[in-house]
Amino acid sequence: MTSRVAEPVIHVEDLRKTYGQTHAVDGVSFDVRRGEVFGLLGPNGAGKTTTVEILEGLRTPDAGTVHVLGIDVARHADVLKERIGVSLQTAALYPKLTVVEVLDLFRSFYRRGRATADLVAMLDLEEKRNTRTKELSGGQRQRLAVALALVNDPEIVFLDEPTTGLDPAARRSLWDIVRSLQSEGKSILLTTHYMEEAEILCDRLAIMDHGRILEAGTVPELVDSRFRERSVRFERVAGLDDASLRKFPGVSQVKYENGEVVLFTRDVPATIGAVLAATERLGAEPQNLAVRRATLEDVFLDLTGRALRD
Amino acid sequence: MRALLLLTVANTRSFVRDRAALFWTLAFPLIFVVLFGSIFSGGQGKRDIGWADLDGSPTAAQLRDIFASAPNVALTQGSESDLQAKMRSGGLSAIVVVPKGYGNAVSAGRAGDAATLVVYTDPTQQAQTAGTVQLVQGVLAGVNQRISGQAPVVGFEARTIQTQNLSFISYLVPSILGMALMQLGVFSAIPLVADREKLILKRLNATPLRRWQLVGSNVLMRLMIAIAQTVIIIAVGARLYGVQLSGSVLLLGALVVLGAMSFIALGYVIASFAPTEDAANGMTSVVQFPLMFLSGTFFPIDSMPDFLKTVARALPLTYLSDGLRQVMVEGTPFAPLWVCFAVLAGFLVVCFGISARFFRWQ
Repeated sequence: MTSRVAEPVIHVEDLRKTYGQTHAVDGVSFDVRRGEVFGLLGPNGAGKTTTVEILEGLRTPDAGTVHVLGIDVARHADVLKERIGVSLQTAALYPKLTVVEVLDLFRSFYRRGRATADLVAMLDLEEKRNTRTKELSGGQRQRLAVALALVNDPEIVFLDEPTTGLDPAARRSLWDIVRSLQSEGKSILLTTHYMEEAEILCDRLAIMDHGRILEAGTVPELVDSRFRERSVRFERVAGLDDASLRKFPGVSQVKYENGEVVLFTRDVPATIGAVLAATERLGAEPQNLAVRRATLEDVFLDLTGRALRD
Repeated sequence: MRALLLLTVANTRSFVRDRAALFWTLAFPLIFVVLFGSIFSGGQGKRDIGWADLDGSPTAAQLRDIFASAPNVALTQGSESDLQAKMRSGGLSAIVVVPKGYGNAVSAGRAGDAATLVVYTDPTQQAQTAGTVQLVQGVLAGVNQRISGQAPVVGFEARTIQTQNLSFISYLVPSILGMALMQLGVFSAIPLVADREKLILKRLNATPLRRWQLVGSNVLMRLMIAIAQTVIIIAVGARLYGVQLSGSVLLLGALVVLGAMSFIALGYVIASFAPTEDAANGMTSVVQFPLMFLSGTFFPIDSMPDFLKTVARALPLTYLSDGLRQVMVEGTPFAPLWVCFAVLAGFLVVCFGISARFFRWQ
């Protein structure tokens, strides 16, 4: 079992794809391990979709090697397509067919697979089973697109921007689906430009921009590699002046945000000790005392010099 | 196989649920048939029958009087060749020829060539023909009884003659079928481009589905509709206007399939160059209207001015419609039937080549 976990289901090495003058994918390498949720996080146009579509066998790379489930995608895309599930960035559905009709149709393309009734139940589409796809809501369409990615009971599921344009409730229900897929032992590669989604869903992720991977790892790894410091926060206490705060052990920086004192520190226990001692001397106690590490958002901002937006 | 079957079913469902597609492929040609048919077919008035008496005996004159007294019959006397010319130009619906020696044969009570009337009818005007045959049979039954009491001595032999300009409606029915098959094929571009634009083709490409299965299911679905169109148009032509199928059903089937496939291939060519569904809509119109009006759909190519004849000669629909007229109603050939088949087959190969080279799946 341990050896299977270690074995990567996707291995990408120095992948390149150029359109005219644009280096859409510019030397990308990464591995996805069996059973994990791996995320490609980046703004629109970062090269996430091009990368994923090369892995799915939909585009041919200019250079680099891609092995998915040990299959050389450049040579045996047909073999691979039988074993992977794909949900494109925009749900591509026959508008005049019903949910069940589309599922049955796609099921017929594969040798093995999953019963339509199971998928309808799993993706909570029972009420809409006989509804034409053009009449589905955004969330339902997206769930159907994921269902279509599961008709062949694939080992790897590719989800390209699965929650873009969905309301928060629909987004959460999709996250639940991704988690249940993972608990079934499937490996999942998803792309997203939502920080929160990457943080909540992904075991590991790669931050992409301008066709390159800037940094990859688990969320704590990414944060720790950039930001060793934590912030210690509490509501301002009268009499505690800036000069003495700066002398607290471990503190490198002091900020004030929304009526809170924010101390950046490399030594959290010592800093908190000093805060408690100082407030006690003033006959007060710190309200809403909290310790925070930097967020993925801080990492992204630091890496790309810009904030991610919807 | 299951994928091909289910994809064909899916395509058919999408087609049947698309009211515009249904209208253009099934209702639109029928509207043409019914509209033009009721304008040009005329009422059921008197039956004009030519009477050529090669015998000149009193017995023959007697027979003529019996025919002349039949209800709704107008007899025109003349020589056999004059009457044939008149029938070709549409002035007569049938000709009865009394052979030389008829009088003698009847008085001798002797059956045979001399006692056999020749009756010309138009095979495409089956309703009229049937009426004429019934009339002749009725008259002759009476005559036979009078002559012998029992054994039918006088019989007749039916021959057919092709009336020129058929009647307009017999010309129109096969032409409309040709037009309908052309539209069925050309319009295949629109859902194809729509599927590409909606990324359905790309999504299919992410499955193990083969491209031949995808194209095959599209062609299969269209061929089924082509057969439905053929049956409906022929049935309506026969029921409402008595235009009967006179040729080989097998040959007709082959021509319908080949014609439909050639124009489906043309649809794929359009889809190869149309970037969006709107563009495909425009391009199909640009392609289908000249085909519709310049391929002799509504009037014979021979009646066109010379430069339009040259255009017509270059259009594939000319050969499909011409072939259909030849096979269905024995229409006067514009090109020999084998040429029609050859042109359509060549056109199919060329269109297939172009779309194989330029068609984009995403």
